[in-house]
Amino acid sequence: MTGETLTIAVPSKGRLEEETRRVFGESRLAIIRPGGARSYVGSIKDQPQVSVLFYPAAEIARELIMGTIDIGVTGSDLIHEAAENGARNVVFVKPLQFGHADVIVAVPDAWIDVVNMGDLADVASDFRARHGRWLRIATKYVHLTRKFFADHGIAEYRIVESAGATEAAPASGAADLIVDITSSGETLAANSLRILEDGLILKSEAQLIVSKAANWTPMKKAQLEALLSIMGGIPPGISTQV
Amino acid sequence: MAKTPGERRAAMIRLVESRTVTRVAPPLLLPASPYLDLAGEEFGRQLLLTTANNGVDYCLRPDFTLPIAKSYLDDGMIGVPGAYTYLGPIFRQENGTPVEYDQAGLELLGQADPDAALDQVLTFARWALAIYDITEPNVRIGGVGLFEAFLGAMGIAPQWQQRIRHRFGHPTSMRRLLDRLTAPRDTIAGTAPDARETIIEIVTDNMLAAGLSLVGSRQPEEIADRYLEKQALDASPIPEEMVQLLVEYLSIIDTPTRALDKIRLMTQRAGLNIEGPLQTVRNHAAALQALSPKADVIFDASFSPRLDYYTGVVFEMTSERGAILASGGEYDRLLDRLGAVEPVAASGCALWTDRLEAEASR
Repeated sequence: MTGETLTIAVPSKGRLEEETRRVFGESRLAIIRPGGARSYVGSIKDQPQVSVLFYPAAEIARELIMGTIDIGVTGSDLIHEAAENGARNVVFVKPLQFGHADVIVAVPDAWIDVVNMGDLADVASDFRARHGRWLRIATKYVHLTRKFFADHGIAEYRIVESAGATEAAPASGAADLIVDITSSGETLAANSLRILEDGLILKSEAQLIVSKAANWTPMKKAQLEALLSIMGGIPPGISTQV
Repeated sequence: MAKTPGERRAAMIRLVESRTVTRVAPPLLLPASPYLDLAGEEFGRQLLLTTANNGVDYCLRPDFTLPIAKSYLDDGMIGVPGAYTYLGPIFRQENGTPVEYDQAGLELLGQADPDAALDQVLTFARWALAIYDITEPNVRIGGVGLFEAFLGAMGIAPQWQQRIRHRFGHPTSMRRLLDRLTAPRDTIAGTAPDARETIIEIVTDNMLAAGLSLVGSRQPEEIADRYLEKQALDASPIPEEMVQLLVEYLSIIDTPTRALDKIRLMTQRAGLNIEGPLQTVRNHAAALQALSPKADVIFDASFSPRLDYYTGVVFEMTSERGAILASGGEYDRLLDRLGAVEPVAASGCALWTDRLEAEASR
């Protein structure tokens, strides 16, 4: 973006967009989207130095990591998933108290012998000898899954990438278990899936996130500080040093 | 007189092209599935992948060992001793970034005397390091075979052995398991009657209700059996003194002589006999220490690569600053995994020539 304009990306649709507008509105920062839901560029009322982009939440995470936008609102899970070390390139400035969800490991409820990751490690270790194929995990969280399973010493599995309806994968035969996001656990229960005792990978919520990789001129830094102070300041212990 | 990088490179080429070995150059572009089949997702995340239009995944050569072992089998070489060397680039992803490394190495397959083969590999690694003026490296050796023998001698349930073996070389998950063993607790979900038939029935009903196939994945019998096995294992935990012995074993790290003496003493005291495997490690350590100039050798009882095809003695040579310059060992199970119809002894090592050159030109 142009040198001295602060670029902020917000989710372009759905509940995330509504909640983002509400939170910004409460700080008297009304987000304006002149062309309605079809437009992807907007602004904030009385803040001419800020330019607003409407992007899908996953894209906001990628752009923050690459530094093509300055600030963004997206789920922390998406930052961790977008790149293996994505979180290193950003600063989580402010949790926004919406979009709560957990990334979890869930197995079919019928697996009564599997209650924790240790059990899963044992099942994975001889799965291939028993079934002639690797244990399969359906997920869209490829990076998070690989890291979590590596931390638990589990290497004997394959990931089946799933774009949607991951929770249906065990019943459809596409995978044996899943790594997915859940907020209430209802969808999991409806699909007879059970979260492992120590199967919580990440607690996620929507956050205001600053890109470390963006081009931070002194002017833009000052604008960032001003914007953050309007939004109620920065929680203690978090530095905006970018 | 100081050597130039070009001279060191030339010496390295002479080493990998010496008379007793065959230098090979596997293709840069390889099918990805053998790697994923062998090492699963954990290694898979390091591959640089590309997908052909027909959906088949390929990767840029991430190592030399697998393609060398595979062509040994494909070319029908079983029964023929092979000594293969290599020198060239490999490609990986690390921390989300593609990287190109230069690697050299030696693989000895199907040698008549596997112990002599491992000593040759150790000597080869020392020679290669010496080209880069690293004449006294730090060497860490580990005993995969020794640990397996130790576990086998402990007289504990085979399922426990399997679970412990599976975590060897991964300190975090080993610690978790040991914690669980020292503080046993009932981790069975819910309550169910203990009759196998009843459990199978319950699991079957549950699977049908959930729309799960009874044959596509884990089957009701398998789940019930493992459930009962868990109950049985929880009811007969590993004796406390054996857990203590295991903890003690894994904490041993010392000069080979002292470390192996300690292991001998503690196993003898516990009435376990692992004399044979102990002597094997002792001999290799002695052969390594006989090479001059003397390297700084330690035996680390908990050291093992995280690939389960390693079998006997494994090693790692590092610089003063801790960079891994060479690593390898015995990997008899690799060719078996690749479908060899009879056992093929294998030892080898890989050398990180970029790091070696960086050390030499410091």
